[in-house]
Amino acid sequence: MSTFSMSTMSAISLRPLLQASDLVWAWTARTIRGRYQQSLLGWLWAVVQPAATVTVFTIVFTRFVPINTGTIPYPVFSYTAMVPWTFLAASLSDMAASLVQNMNLVMKIYFPREALPLAAMLARAMDFLVASALLVFLLIYFQVPVAPLVLLLLPFVFAVQVALIVGVGLIAAALNVFYRDVQPMLVLVLQLWFYASPIIYPVSRVPEGLRNYYFLNPMVGILESYRDILLRGTLPGTYLLYSVVLSLAICALGFVFFKRVEHLFADIV
Amino acid sequence: MPPIVRFENVSKRYRLGLTRTSIPAAVARWLRGRTRSAPPETRYHWALRDVSFELEPGQSLALIGPNGAGKTTTLKLLANITRPTSGRIGIHGNLSALIELGAGFHPDLTGRENIFLNGTILGLSRREIEQKFDEIVAFSELEHFIDTPVKRYSSGMTVRLGFSVASCIEPDILLVDEVLAVGDANFRQKCIQRIKELLAKGTTVIFVSHNLWLVRAVCPLSLYLHQGQVRFFGDTDQAIALYDRAIHEARAAKHQRTNGPEHPGHEGDPLVEITGIELRDRAGRLTSEVTNEESLSIHVHYMSRQAFPDANVVIRILRSDGLTCCMLRSRADGVRIPLVQGSGTIALTISPVQLYGGMYYVQAIIRDRDDVGGITSATSDWFYVTGGALSHQEMNGVFEPHHEWHVDVAQRDPDILEAG
Repeated sequence: MSTFSMSTMSAISLRPLLQASDLVWAWTARTIRGRYQQSLLGWLWAVVQPAATVTVFTIVFTRFVPINTGTIPYPVFSYTAMVPWTFLAASLSDMAASLVQNMNLVMKIYFPREALPLAAMLARAMDFLVASALLVFLLIYFQVPVAPLVLLLLPFVFAVQVALIVGVGLIAAALNVFYRDVQPMLVLVLQLWFYASPIIYPVSRVPEGLRNYYFLNPMVGILESYRDILLRGTLPGTYLLYSVVLSLAICALGFVFFKRVEHLFADIV
Repeated sequence: MPPIVRFENVSKRYRLGLTRTSIPAAVARWLRGRTRSAPPETRYHWALRDVSFELEPGQSLALIGPNGAGKTTTLKLLANITRPTSGRIGIHGNLSALIELGAGFHPDLTGRENIFLNGTILGLSRREIEQKFDEIVAFSELEHFIDTPVKRYSSGMTVRLGFSVASCIEPDILLVDEVLAVGDANFRQKCIQRIKELLAKGTTVIFVSHNLWLVRAVCPLSLYLHQGQVRFFGDTDQAIALYDRAIHEARAAKHQRTNGPEHPGHEGDPLVEITGIELRDRAGRLTSEVTNEESLSIHVHYMSRQAFPDANVVIRILRSDGLTCCMLRSRADGVRIPLVQGSGTIALTISPVQLYGGMYYVQAIIRDRDDVGGITSATSDWFYVTGGALSHQEMNGVFEPHHEWHVDVAQRDPDILEAG
């Protein structure tokens, strides 16, 4: 059984979190079970949402405002980015709400508070897997050639994305306890971020002069890398490097910030 | 052996009012010219100030004190739900807590799911929880409702489940906050039994209770807190006696002392004036504290313009809440009290005092011979009677007469003898 001793200057350590991994998994399982319990579509929703969005985008961006995506059919092009994007957006929204929704737990019992936002993200990772099934189907349907060796890099890109989500999500979760407008603010930020990322359009449409600033968006490197691996069969471009550095930095920042303020949560009723 | 629990100069303060200000509000305040915010004293509330104590493994502690003393804050700090503003806290061992009647249950989850969740949070593996599951449900007597969401439980049920989980897990340290306030007599009995079992096993139990009889029965060590500060840390009986006294003093401070139903007539200067009322013990020393076994002498000093051959002196003893405990009249006792011209003293001795513990004061009234009008009256300072536990509880009554217990040895019942 665990032993913990505390002082006012306890080090930021991962030990309590590792001990709490049981809690994270238990909470994740609980979240997943609870989310689809009373819904009509159940886990189908994880597919329906990105699929429906991509259907609409396909109609709009092939018929009304055509966007040239080269040899890759538009539905596959956008869906490949839509799945990771949905994972990020849904995770961040859930993470921001996670602490505030469970304040009664936070106020009565001690556990590493980051377990709640992390469990929220892991529950959305489940949705990501389900949505990926449709992606696989689309790749087969549109006969997109796939290079098996390059696929091995997918987990790496996924890990970079997870680091980014964890960083932003922990900051959002913690701030939301103190300032409740973080949640609506996040909605706005995600809307803008969506358009700043190469989901409905290819990077080639971004003017040369703006490219450098464009790549400062860590999701650009991540999404383009998914496309490189799955659709073009090539190694990810150097833009992935920007994403790695930025995501790791944000992840570290998020963690440090969260642990610094976590003991204040119970004081803010 | 290091102490199992340790508070070292711990202080905790909370902000009053809105905890965070919005940007528009801050700008508005600045525009109005109030760039300096309110002084710190009005912005913060110190829930605990410089609290220190230590517990050895196996020792248990009761936290007593009035509402707002900082007892629940102490438990929250021990449970690491919040951090101290200054000072250090040390804990060795795993801890489970029931704070403000909650065990950290999620309302949407069923009782079963909450048991597993709670167990996981407290550090048990799934298998360990499964092993203890039946015991927990049996103790809580909630078999029927274990698969219903906790939000549908009554507060009594929530407490039963919470206490069940927290105590069955066999922690090194168990924190219990006023659990016995909610719940029926049967549950309270089980709780007390379980706490005693844990104490016998050497678990450190720290509990908050307003039931001081229970505290006396169960816990030899107490921490008496008042407005965030330690008034006493040590033997429970002493702590309770101090707490008792503080309650009496608080009551006395609030009480408006009457000067009698009739005030002395103010037509001109009073002929007689009481210059002082002194209280003395058996040895004649001035005192403000007696036990109820001893004697108390009340000395009324007066100054009179003329001699009165036959005055009626009334001595009234009132309790801190204004209750008249006794009224002794010299005339009714057939005693003739002459008042001299100049200064003099009238004394009354009560032995033994027999009043229950508490704060009292004396009112002395001098009335004329025919008992038609009052001449003058005055009151003494407060004096404290010690003796009798938990005397601040009104149900304990006003006085403790001399008494003796008798036990009859039962006669053997011949019918039963034959049947056996």
